[in-house]
Amino acid sequence: MSTAKTPAAAPAKKENFIDVFVIGARKGLSVGFNTIMPAMVMGYVLVQALKVSGIMDVLAVICAPIMGLFGLPGEAFAVLISAFFAKAAGAGAAANLYTAGVITAPQATILLMPCMLMGTLIGHYARIVLVSEANPKLTPIFFAIPLIDAAVGMILVRLILTFMGLM
Amino acid sequence: MSTEQAIKEKPVVTWKGWLALLIMCCMFSGVFKNFEGPLKPLNILDFNTLVGTFGVDADGVNFQGKGGTGARDGFMFTITLVPGCIFAMGFLEVLTRMGCMEAAQIAFTPILKPILGIPGACGLAFINALNSSDIAAILTKQLYDDGLITDDERSVFVAYQYAGSAPIGNMIGTQAALLPIISLAMGPMILLIILCKIFGANLLRIYLKMTKSKRAAKEAK
Repeated sequence: MSTAKTPAAAPAKKENFIDVFVIGARKGLSVGFNTIMPAMVMGYVLVQALKVSGIMDVLAVICAPIMGLFGLPGEAFAVLISAFFAKAAGAGAAANLYTAGVITAPQATILLMPCMLMGTLIGHYARIVLVSEANPKLTPIFFAIPLIDAAVGMILVRLILTFMGLM
Repeated sequence: MSTEQAIKEKPVVTWKGWLALLIMCCMFSGVFKNFEGPLKPLNILDFNTLVGTFGVDADGVNFQGKGGTGARDGFMFTITLVPGCIFAMGFLEVLTRMGCMEAAQIAFTPILKPILGIPGACGLAFINALNSSDIAAILTKQLYDDGLITDDERSVFVAYQYAGSAPIGNMIGTQAALLPIISLAMGPMILLIILCKIFGANLLRIYLKMTKSKRAAKEAK
């Protein structure tokens, strides 16, 4: 199979440091505008919609007990919803809450864990679980594990920050 | 080179590869962030120092402004993230060409059996999974098709890859919004995420181990 790229594949001709950097940097530009930008706009619009409609206030009250376990306010639940669709949207929502003064920097640190660990679950189900042709009987478990990881991650970071005296 | 060959062959790592791995660890660890006095030049080894800051106006506000909302604010905010993203990807490309990934593969392959219960043949996929979801998933399928891993081993490996996929690539690519805010450096955060991924995969590993005889009996029927 020739489609799999191996990092060992040496370039045919010797490329200099600057060329290689520029090739990667161009990818970064594309990631910034094509991947992060749409997800970020979605995250911001979602938060705006939740705020204006008053749902955010309701979420804050309902989710407060659950989010409290992780040292977070109820509003932070919006971050989990955004993250589920796209990692960057979760990060955008969390950054938005931080700018608005709803969460603190240590709380943003806790929220990075679910943004990564339970981020983009639907999209990556196709890209990872289906592509690798893993046992379809385990599908519910494949979905449950990232959620468990996210909960464990939030508690872990909360403990570390508490230990460091930041919370 | 076929995938099978790539998996079985031991990668060749020059001193440049090890240097690249060392530089990557330094850059993302945040250790070199706050050096003062005679050691101040070592700040060059810190990722965020090199990314720098935006200029601000008299009120200390950058070009994004203050009090924006909705899609427009999201757009402006993303603009502030793009420079770091461009630099990180360019830098990572250079490290990759220097042989950083091969060095990492040699360093990490021996620990795969104890931490995930998967054979060393998964080394290449494991390292690729740090940066990209797609290549690792294709390699994993190939490993199973080539008989190098069992179905259960593939399940555990996929569970590892699926949660928090591509922790290094996605940390730079998707969490750019949170990186300037968070209280810990990027390196330790990536390590914590990998730790949680390993934890989750081991839950499945235990489950599969516990149900193995039961499943075998069911299939025999």
